[in-house]
Amino acid sequence: MTQDNPSDPSPGLRPRERFRPTRIEEALRGPFLLAFGSALFWLLVASVLTVVTSLGLGSLSGGLFRDHEFLTHGRVVAVQHNLFIYGWGCNAFFALNLWLLAQLGRFELRSAWLAHLGGAAWNLALAYGVCRLFAGELNGYALLEMPREVGPVLAGAFLLIALWPIVAYARRPTGNAFVSQWLVVGASFVFPLVFLLTQLLVLWQPASGVVQALAHGWFIANLRWLWLGASALAAVYYFLPKLLERMIAGYTLTPVAFWSLFLFAGWTGPAALVGSPVPLWLQSTGIVAAALMLIPVVIIAINLLGTLSSAGGWARAWNDTTLRFLGVGIVVFTAYGLLAGITAFRGPSALLRFTSFDKGLEHLLTYGFVTMVIFGAAYFILPRLTGTLWPSAKLVHVHFWSVVLGLLGSSAVWLVGGWQTGRQLADVAIAYPVILRGESTGFLVLTLSSLLLLIGHLAFALNVLGMISKSLVLARPGRHG
Amino acid sequence: MPNLNFLLLGVFAAIASPFAALLLSTQGQLGELGRAIGEESGPLSPALETGLAIQGRSVYLSLGCVSCHTQQVRPAGQGSDIARGYGQRPSVARDYSLQPLVLLGERRLGPDLANYGARTPRNDLVALLTDPASSGAVWHPAYRFVDSASLTALVAYLTTLRQDYASPEAQLKK
Repeated sequence: MTQDNPSDPSPGLRPRERFRPTRIEEALRGPFLLAFGSALFWLLVASVLTVVTSLGLGSLSGGLFRDHEFLTHGRVVAVQHNLFIYGWGCNAFFALNLWLLAQLGRFELRSAWLAHLGGAAWNLALAYGVCRLFAGELNGYALLEMPREVGPVLAGAFLLIALWPIVAYARRPTGNAFVSQWLVVGASFVFPLVFLLTQLLVLWQPASGVVQALAHGWFIANLRWLWLGASALAAVYYFLPKLLERMIAGYTLTPVAFWSLFLFAGWTGPAALVGSPVPLWLQSTGIVAAALMLIPVVIIAINLLGTLSSAGGWARAWNDTTLRFLGVGIVVFTAYGLLAGITAFRGPSALLRFTSFDKGLEHLLTYGFVTMVIFGAAYFILPRLTGTLWPSAKLVHVHFWSVVLGLLGSSAVWLVGGWQTGRQLADVAIAYPVILRGESTGFLVLTLSSLLLLIGHLAFALNVLGMISKSLVLARPGRHG
Repeated sequence: MPNLNFLLLGVFAAIASPFAALLLSTQGQLGELGRAIGEESGPLSPALETGLAIQGRSVYLSLGCVSCHTQQVRPAGQGSDIARGYGQRPSVARDYSLQPLVLLGERRLGPDLANYGARTPRNDLVALLTDPASSGAVWHPAYRFVDSASLTALVAYLTTLRQDYASPEAQLKK
């Protein structure tokens, strides 16, 4: 693994000259670094809280945090989840999507102050919401726990910072458009709409009874597939052909993948409610939609794995930091898509519902795919924006191996543990305390995995900080004539 | 696919169709559900919540209990909920028709609570919440920091959790 990218256009020059930012990149630097820096900060906080929750899981009644009300398991889980999705995932995609569409559409951002304002408002609202969560003001639905007044502020901030990719698409100089552009435009359009409608139906004008759970299922399906998933796919479709210097395999299938993804994803929500008190036809609709999602998943796998597998692609991926992270992400995305489709059917769903399996599936998507892609993209973009190389290759190695091992350990605990728990729960002869005792080994592995993830994130953050401080030193007048 | 308007219109249609079909139509189907008589000359069900129970729901939310407990009983054939004694019948939409914020839950690190009030005496509940180890629930957090007023409200809320009234919908669901 090298820290140089094979796509480096000017090998042999000094760092500042090798990565001289273009005008487009100069205009993006402020908003990008604000959003990405905030993302990294929230990722570190969320990682510490992941360690706290996994420690607490192993020792709920007599653990380290038993007398601290604000560290009660339910609150910390909610804060960690919100910070990981809204703090890390959303902020990172504000930065990444903007960079991507500006590059593809040759768009020079002139009103950076609006994006700065949006970024600041998003993070302040999130910080306020998290403080209220720690204070015990929670709602009962995952990722909608923050007080309801936070929602409209987040939506407004999103419009200020994340609609620039749509502007970039509208102003692109050529009539052609690449699949990454469709994906980013679709994702940026879907999220605020779905987020606001769900806030309305669950928190502001609550729908009747179980319709709230349906609205929540619809929101989670859209959030996972059409905001986080589509944004990460956009980055993969951009970087893979660029770094491997080849066409996407089966590119003509991408319109089918795009439209089937957007058409079916929203219908998969009720698949998470099989067996619950919602009408049966809704549950069946969700299952059918989840099975139909195999169409875009298979096409995307053909596109991405096909591109990577041809003409020594994997060997090149192994030797390139960005491609290495993307390679892991692509494999995990395929596994996630297939598992999500297969386990949505009634039989597996009856076995796995209420266990950690769904948590494992979400972990595969949001960490194994989305986060890996963000890391990979950051290794490509940050040297170009800051004009410097990564200060430490060792930290890059520590980062990669820590997060991959942490991902493997935590996914195994959630998925295998969830399946095991499901089998035991189905057997009425096995008492509940016995099942919980069986999970304690898993909690230990989970704690170790959380520590590995934290180490990896710290290594990445140190490298980013080192790079930015190096770029500030190099930027001083007279330093390079 | 170069046209922005076409792209946005297509994406809008793709997310609006499940919104209308799954959410708006179900709101139309279930929105009028309310209390009903389960059997001839029986009381109206589900029962109205007391003021103390409503306060207790806030405590339940505040402690994040929903992250470990569900409140839904699945039908026989969809898990072992009824066999494990979580309820005598599967949950139906009417059970939740009066609840301002429905707390179905997604994960079980502890037992289901849909019928907790019907199967647990009040005194056992107080002991479990304050000193779970002595009640055999070693994995349950000990809420020593919860003041007595909040604890009373929480216990009142948990004792009102019951779906044991006769429900014609549940008969159909069986």
